[in-house]
Amino acid sequence: MMSFWENLGRRVIQMLTAFADTIVFAGKVFIRIFRRKTYSSAMREVLLNQIYFTSVQILPVFLMVSILFGSLLIGIVFQLLKEFGLTGFFGHVLMGLIVTELSPLLTVLLITLRSAAAINTEMAVMKVNREIKTLEMFRIDVIDYLLVPRVINGIISIVLLSSLCSIVLLVSGTLFSWLIFGMSIDVYTNILLNATNFSDILIALFKCAIYGFFITLIPIRFGLRASHELTSIPIVVSQGMVNVFAAILIIEVLSLLTKLL
Amino acid sequence: MTLSREFKVGLFIGCTAIIVVLALLYLAAGKGVFENLHAFTVSSKSGDGFTEGMPVVFSGFNIGKVQALELNEKGIVLIKIKIPDRHVKWIRSDSAFILYRPLIGSARIVVNTTNLNSPPLDEKKIPEVIIVNDINDAIARIEPALERVTQIADNVERLTSNLSDPKGDLHRILSNAGKITTNLASKKSLVEMVVSDEESVKALNDSLKKLKDITTNVDRILTKVDKMADKTDSEIYGKDGALPQVNVILKDIVGKLQKLDKTIDNINKISSDTSEGTKDLHILRSDIDDTLKTVEDAVKKLDAIIGLKKAPEFKVP
Repeated sequence: MMSFWENLGRRVIQMLTAFADTIVFAGKVFIRIFRRKTYSSAMREVLLNQIYFTSVQILPVFLMVSILFGSLLIGIVFQLLKEFGLTGFFGHVLMGLIVTELSPLLTVLLITLRSAAAINTEMAVMKVNREIKTLEMFRIDVIDYLLVPRVINGIISIVLLSSLCSIVLLVSGTLFSWLIFGMSIDVYTNILLNATNFSDILIALFKCAIYGFFITLIPIRFGLRASHELTSIPIVVSQGMVNVFAAILIIEVLSLLTKLL
Repeated sequence: MTLSREFKVGLFIGCTAIIVVLALLYLAAGKGVFENLHAFTVSSKSGDGFTEGMPVVFSGFNIGKVQALELNEKGIVLIKIKIPDRHVKWIRSDSAFILYRPLIGSARIVVNTTNLNSPPLDEKKIPEVIIVNDINDAIARIEPALERVTQIADNVERLTSNLSDPKGDLHRILSNAGKITTNLASKKSLVEMVVSDEESVKALNDSLKKLKDITTNVDRILTKVDKMADKTDSEIYGKDGALPQVNVILKDIVGKLQKLDKTIDNINKISSDTSEGTKDLHILRSDIDDTLKTVEDAVKKLDAIIGLKKAPEFKVP
C-alpha cells in the first residue's frame, strides 16, 4: 500500500519537474529569440534551410491537401447547415470554426507529422553521435545554432501556412456557397465581413505562433534526452511525439477557453 | 534556370506575407476600419439587453455597432452608436430604433426607416429605443397555454383518482354491469330478466300471438277496402264516369255564358245612349225656360210702357 503512494508521488514529482524543466527551457529559448547576438550568419543559414525544408518543400503538397480536404470539409459543413436550416449561422461557422479553428489545426498536424518527427530524430541522432558534445567543445552555442533557428522556423511556417490554408478555404467557400446556396460573391463577402472578428483572427494567429514554438521545442527537448546508445532514439522520438500531440490538445483547449472568456 | 534556396524561401515568405496582409487589409476595409464614423445617441429606460459592440442592423445588414453605454442623471440609459460614413444615409429623422432580442441568437438594434427622403438624423437628437423581446413574448404566449395544461392535468388527476376510488362511479357501474351479466346468465330470456316472473312472460307471449291475429284481420279488411276504392275510382273517373259528363255540361254552360255576355253588352250600350238622350232633353228644357223668361221680361216691359202712355199703340213684332 505504501509503495503505491510512493510510486504515485514519485510519478507526479517527475511529471511536475519535467514540465517545469520544459517551461524553463522554453523560457531560455524564447529569450534567445529576441537577442541580436543569436542571429549569426551560421544561425541564419540554418534558419533558411529549416524554412526551406519545412515550408517551401511541403508547399505543393500542403496546398493540394488544403484544397482537397478544405473543400470537402466546407462542402459537408455547408450542406449540413442547409439541411438543419442554420444558414443564418453560415458566416460564423465559416470564420469561427473553419478559418480560426480547423485551418490552424490542419496545418499543425501536417507540420508535426512531417517536420516535428524529423527534428526529434535529428536531435536524438546528433546526441548519440556526440555531435552536440563536439559543438560544445568548439564553443558553439547549441541553443543559438540548433534550437533557435528551428523554433523560429516553426513559428514562421505555422503562421504563414495556416494563413494560406485559411485563404484557400475562404476561396473554396466562395465556390461551395454558390453551388450549395446559390449565393453570389457579393453576398458571400458581406456575410463573411459581418462574421469577421479581428480579435478571433488575432487569437488564431497567436495560437499558430504558440503551436509553432512548442511543436519544435518539445521534439528538440526530447531528442536531447537521448543517451549515447542507438536504442534510445526510438524511445525519445515516440515520447517526444506523444508530448507534442498532448501540447497541441492543451493549446487548442486553452484557445477555446480564451474565446469563451 | 535553377532557383537558389534563398530565393525560394524569400519568395515564399514575401508572397505569403503579402497575401496575408492584403487579406487582412481587405477585411479591415470591409469592416469600415478606415472609414469616418458618425456617432448617434439613442435612449432607453432600461439598459437590459444592451451590450457594447452590439450590432446595429438595417434591412438585415450590419451598418454599425454600439460604442458605449451610459447612465445619465435622470436615470435614462444613453446608447452611443457608431455608423460608418457609407451607411449613415440609412439613418434619417424618422428612423425608428428597435432593440430586438430573439429567442435564439444575439440581440441587435434594428433601424427601421420608412421614408428615406426625410432629413438626416441630427447627431444631437436622442430618439428612444423600442424594445421587442421574443423571450418575453414567447413566455406571454405560453402562459395561457400552460394554465390550460395545468387545468387539464388537474382534471386528469381528478378522473384518475375517481377511477382508482373503490367507491367511485366507475366501480359502481362495473359492479352493476357484473350483476346484470350474472342475472342474464341465469335467466332464459332478456324479458324474463326484466319482469323477473315466468307467468308474466307467458301472458306477454299470448298477447303477442293475439296481436298477430289482429294484424292479419286488419290486413284482410284493408284488401277489401282497396278493391272498393278501385271500383269507385272507375265509376267516377272512368270513360263513362260521372266526372267526364260533368265536364261536358260545364263546357256547354261556359259557351252559353259567353253569348249572354254579348247580349248584356248590347243592353248596356242602349241604356247609355238613352242616358245621353235624356241629357239633351234637359238642355232643350233649359233653352225653352230661358226663352219663356225672355218673353216674360218683354211682356213686363211692354206692360210698363203701356201703363205710362195713353192710347198706346204698339206693333207686334
